[in-house]
Amino acid sequence: MTLSRRVIVCLDVANDQVVKGVQFKGLRSIGDPAAMAVGYEQAGADEVVLLDITASAEARSTRWEMVHWTAEQLFIPLTFGGGVRSVGDVNRALRAGADKVAINSAAVARPGVISEAVTWFGSQCIVASIDAKRDGGARSGWRVIVHGGRTETSLDAVAWAAECVDRGAGEILLTSIDCDGGRTGYDLDLTRAVAAAVTVPVVASGGAGTVDHICAVLTEGGADAALVAGVLHDGIVSIESIKSAMAERGLPVRRERFWPASAVGVA
Amino acid sequence: MIRATILDYGAGNLHSLSKALATPDVTVRIETDPLAAIETDVLILPGVGAFTGAISRLDPSRDAMRRALNEGLPCLGICLGMQLLFDSSDEGPGTGLGFFAGRVDRLCAALVPHMGWNTLHEATDPLLPSGALETAYYAHSFVCRPTDSAVVTAWTTVGQDRFPAIVRRRNTVGVQFHPEKSSAPGVRFIRAFLASVSELRVGQ
Repeated sequence: MTLSRRVIVCLDVANDQVVKGVQFKGLRSIGDPAAMAVGYEQAGADEVVLLDITASAEARSTRWEMVHWTAEQLFIPLTFGGGVRSVGDVNRALRAGADKVAINSAAVARPGVISEAVTWFGSQCIVASIDAKRDGGARSGWRVIVHGGRTETSLDAVAWAAECVDRGAGEILLTSIDCDGGRTGYDLDLTRAVAAAVTVPVVASGGAGTVDHICAVLTEGGADAALVAGVLHDGIVSIESIKSAMAERGLPVRRERFWPASAVGVA
Repeated sequence: MIRATILDYGAGNLHSLSKALATPDVTVRIETDPLAAIETDVLILPGVGAFTGAISRLDPSRDAMRRALNEGLPCLGICLGMQLLFDSSDEGPGTGLGFFAGRVDRLCAALVPHMGWNTLHEATDPLLPSGALETAYYAHSFVCRPTDSAVVTAWTTVGQDRFPAIVRRRNTVGVQFHPEKSSAPGVRFIRAFLASVSELRVGQ
């Protein structure tokens, strides 16, 4: 009778390849999105996020095929994010096979896009993705940043998270720009402040370096789920080592005997 | 060969579900017309979208679909698809299929939507031998409140709110979780449902 705390794997994708790089610099291809997603499902990941960071709009034209191809092989939830501008994009992502769609800069530019997407598709599939940066000038201490961490906005991160939830977002994907890629731990204060301000699950992102960091953001940080990327792709931690550490600290985790879907005859 | 038909209300992802249903013994069809959809061996009501939008698609053929279910058409309703089998929903206006007596109302929990992996308990459904599906993936804000709890064949609890994970009357099964998103155990659950339907046909 327990809701598990989730370990969510993030695959940053550029030109239909999973890429790796610190704060979007020096990208290097590390694999195929579908193959990596399925591999992580079999390792026991609870969800997968595909974050499309393809720079040019033309190069993005093939991304729905990539989502389709990945979704068809994956039997855990798939979130798509990156360059989602409109309700039309949300629809395309869902039709391609995403279960949830993350909206970031487009919501800052026009908050109504969240309300509209929720009306059409329901709260449970609309994720408000928020990039936040420490800033003494912001009321809560964190400011919303858009365009992959490059552009400051006038929005306070905690207040913006609350507004996204008021507009119907069913989940907050919260990335600390300060901690992202640093591997020195999540921004626990930021995560705690946002989790206290909203009534939907908060997925913490940015800063995982060890299993202890992940456990800390799920306990002290008050996050419902932890997003993990580079440290997992580099083999420094594994899904199993994360879940073992979580279980040792008394956090409820999903630990099936991880039978791959192929074991039940899924082509 | 079994014909499985997924009714498409026009919102969301049907790929994983199609793939989970497809086996050498099953042909899967996606159908937007509810009247055409009930001309099948097994009807699947998927779990994407909102109550009012989906029920307005069903409205002209509600009676025909309810009749088909009452006459024994096997049906698997997933998440929203389960909720459509009830009388009405607090999510929005519209009359449900009323195959199960009861309402759908908002989950009473600290965090809503209920999003993530949760355990099933008090499971008696014949599709769950030896706890094959212990933990399933949920993504919903509303839950079914059947008038008669005897239809409930598994429960789930969030905080203090205990609600049906599975309801069943004869060959119609509603599941609040997403078996097509519950990894290999969920796929096995769908396969077990299809196997039970195919045994039924052999028995006829």
